[in-house]
Amino acid sequence: MPVDEIKPTRAGLLLVRRRLALAERIHRLLAMKLDGMMLELVKLTDRTALRRRELEEKYTGARETVAVATMMEGATGVLLAALSVEITPTFTARQKNVFGVCLPDLEPVMVKKTLDQRGYGILGTSSVIDDAANAYEDLLEAIIASAELEGGVKRLLNDIERTRRRVNALELKVIPELTELHRSIEDQRDEMERQDLVRLRRIKKIKAKRAEKP
Amino acid sequence: MPLPGVTSPSFIYACTRFRVRRTTLLPREDYLRLMRMSIPEIVTHLGRREGYAQDITDLIHDFAGAQLIEEAVNRSLARSFRNARAIAPGDLQTLTREYLTRWDIANVMAILRGTVHNIPRQQVHDLLIPAGEIDSALLDRLLSFTTCGEAIEALKDWRLYPVLAESYRVCGEKGVFARIENELYRHYYAGLLDPGRSGCSGCQELNEYLRFEIDITNMRNLLRLHCEIEACDLAAIDQTMIPGGRIPISRFKQLYGIETEGEFVSVFLGTDIVPVLAQAIRDLRRDPEFSSFDAAELVWQRWHQRQRPIHEVEMAVTRSRLHRLESLSRRHPFSVLPVLAYLERKKYEVANLRAIARGKAFGLPTERIWQYIVL
Repeated sequence: MPVDEIKPTRAGLLLVRRRLALAERIHRLLAMKLDGMMLELVKLTDRTALRRRELEEKYTGARETVAVATMMEGATGVLLAALSVEITPTFTARQKNVFGVCLPDLEPVMVKKTLDQRGYGILGTSSVIDDAANAYEDLLEAIIASAELEGGVKRLLNDIERTRRRVNALELKVIPELTELHRSIEDQRDEMERQDLVRLRRIKKIKAKRAEKP
Repeated sequence: MPLPGVTSPSFIYACTRFRVRRTTLLPREDYLRLMRMSIPEIVTHLGRREGYAQDITDLIHDFAGAQLIEEAVNRSLARSFRNARAIAPGDLQTLTREYLTRWDIANVMAILRGTVHNIPRQQVHDLLIPAGEIDSALLDRLLSFTTCGEAIEALKDWRLYPVLAESYRVCGEKGVFARIENELYRHYYAGLLDPGRSGCSGCQELNEYLRFEIDITNMRNLLRLHCEIEACDLAAIDQTMIPGGRIPISRFKQLYGIETEGEFVSVFLGTDIVPVLAQAIRDLRRDPEFSSFDAAELVWQRWHQRQRPIHEVEMAVTRSRLHRLESLSRRHPFSVLPVLAYLERKKYEVANLRAIARGKAFGLPTERIWQYIVL
């Protein structure tokens, strides 16, 4: 029943009281969830920033190793080694639940490979190719780890925003409105009680006057 | 056929031609000048130089920057090596042919991998360097096949076809190409050692040089295998070690199992690699005090920390090796050695130009690029 349609009756008062209690309980729970999510966000952003720095360092390192590999083996040699890759690196995507928010949980699959799994022959290549392959495998792992954390931060931020809107709506609109309604119903009911009392007294007086007259 | 101990005139003529060709290669001063140039200036400089001018003009519409330089020097390499094979008589031709098989292996493997992984043919075509026996026409034909079975069948006349046919079973089987490639290179080195056993002029020295190269390659590959987190079995070492070197494969297997410093250093000091390695590091660091023991200690440190060889040291060893080849070729002017010296010098000239172009494209400092130059 919309708030506007609640009548200033006992049933209406009970309904408003129930709604107010429910709204306050939800507000308390959501406020607690918001605090928890904020704490989780702080932890996650610290880890994300750290991972991001690692990723940037690994990217610089990988660029340098591939520069050395291209210098020593030529772009041709590096591309020939790259053509040898037989198993494409990928990842599995799962989800983990944090305060009711589904955060991504990414697991690298066949990213870090052994010399055998890379597909190129050891006798046709040199150690610079191994270094470049290693550096790019590390970089790919760092990208996946960073994507997992950054995805988590984004989802957590979205959910924090939504929860904050709900908490604010409850705190600034729903609860004050229900409190106001509760007060106004109580006032109206008091007024009606007083009116009844006055009416009864009046009737009593009229009856008493009629009884005095013969 | 020339009498034993008598050098034929065609042999002397060919050796002289190779010596003359060696003098046309870029001198040290040119490298110093190239180091100060930007990529467009290098392109202009090479465009004016005999040996590269035609390739630069032909490719300038298709490529740009460092890629243009790399494609042009690769083309020049292929042409120079084909010419070298054409002018070499008898034993020299056998050696040249065996030496150039390396490029055939790289081309064949690129085509087979490209066919299996459905890589655009033009991209694979750009990676080929037709410097070996397999000419451009056959390479183009190989590129037109849709299955690697057809490509392998078309290679029936190639010397290494039996190895290819024996190692190849299923198209696309995981790891098969790495196995084939390793096997082909093992046969390549065996083939390269064969002319050295024929008793020709300078063949004994050539054999020694090649056996030392095999030792260095084996040691480098052993370090690469040891870097792996999971230890490989001894069968894998057998498959990746090249037979024919001065150090027997059993010694490498013994080294692979050692995890104590004293034992490793004493076994490693017993190999012929240590003096050359020590000399290379002395030259690199300009430290006359650096001893063989220090070199063995350095290798142990890398070995113990499961790290790969230091690239600058690898380059220094290559420089030292080439220096040795140069002095051998001067000592035996009418032998197979000047041919090999020219082929190696040309290979490293191309590698140097490529390193300069690529290093500049990546914005590396000049001192860093200089460490990868072999003079």
